[in-house]
Amino acid sequence: MSSSTAQFGHAHEVAWPTDDQYGAATPGKIGMWIFLISDAFSFAGLLIGYGILRAGHPVWRQVGEPALGVTFTAGLTLLLICSSVTNVLGYAAAVEGKRRQAAALLAATSLLGAAFLFGQYREYSGLIREGLVFGQSARASIFYVITSFHGLHVLIGVVYILAVLLAYVRGRAGPRQIELLGLFWCFVDFVWIFVFSFLYLLP
Amino acid sequence: MAVETGAGARTNRREYLFVFLALAGLTALELTVIRLPGIGRSSMIAALVVLATSKATLIGLFFMHLRYETRILKLTVLIPLLAPPGYALALIADATWRLMR
Repeated sequence: MSSSTAQFGHAHEVAWPTDDQYGAATPGKIGMWIFLISDAFSFAGLLIGYGILRAGHPVWRQVGEPALGVTFTAGLTLLLICSSVTNVLGYAAAVEGKRRQAAALLAATSLLGAAFLFGQYREYSGLIREGLVFGQSARASIFYVITSFHGLHVLIGVVYILAVLLAYVRGRAGPRQIELLGLFWCFVDFVWIFVFSFLYLLP
Repeated sequence: MAVETGAGARTNRREYLFVFLALAGLTALELTVIRLPGIGRSSMIAALVVLATSKATLIGLFFMHLRYETRILKLTVLIPLLAPPGYALALIADATWRLMR
């Protein structure tokens, strides 16, 4: 153990006492879950708002507005699913002490997240060009509010991954930090499943 | 191979890959459902809700490792997440009742 390791006492090297109710879950993990639940409520509020708006408009898609690209977005969905897999595989590698593999998988996760954001940028560009402009209809506004709120989460997730990756490479983070990161990243995927189904797939 | 560490962390690569295939398959099923000829709107909505919930459950249980957590932690997560669908159902029931009045 290096002197800096001893000084900072990495979380993954400390044996956390088990709790009767929460087992081996650390306060960090419980805190992350509580944050994710509150964040889920933000998305739920937006999706319920979408449902209310949609139910209140007999004609949801205005004349001249483009349809959403379901096939293209299904590709973006696959990107997010792949990124969740690389994330959990990276966590598994970190738990097994395969540091290089873990770092490579985390880097792949961030790249997939960045690819998702690029895809969303391309989608927005195309939709705006075709006439789906924020503020011009309820459909357009709620679409951009929900998808950009999710996109913000992806952006924060990519930055979070890069920060943890850097700390991991420097020996300042371990499996526990990667697990917390994984909770956030998989939550982004979790939420997208509902956004994709309700905004893109519902007729 | 499943690996358990002293910190209580559990990983299972084969399980992760199986879940990945299941998620990809369910997404393909969603794309099939919306293109089914003659399917009613209500049936389609029900199918999409079931498929989305199945996918989210797989992610929560296996990728977010809820499956390996204690019952209390599972309930800590699950119980609040039941509230939004409850609100949505209440709103749908209210709207339906107003329409039928």
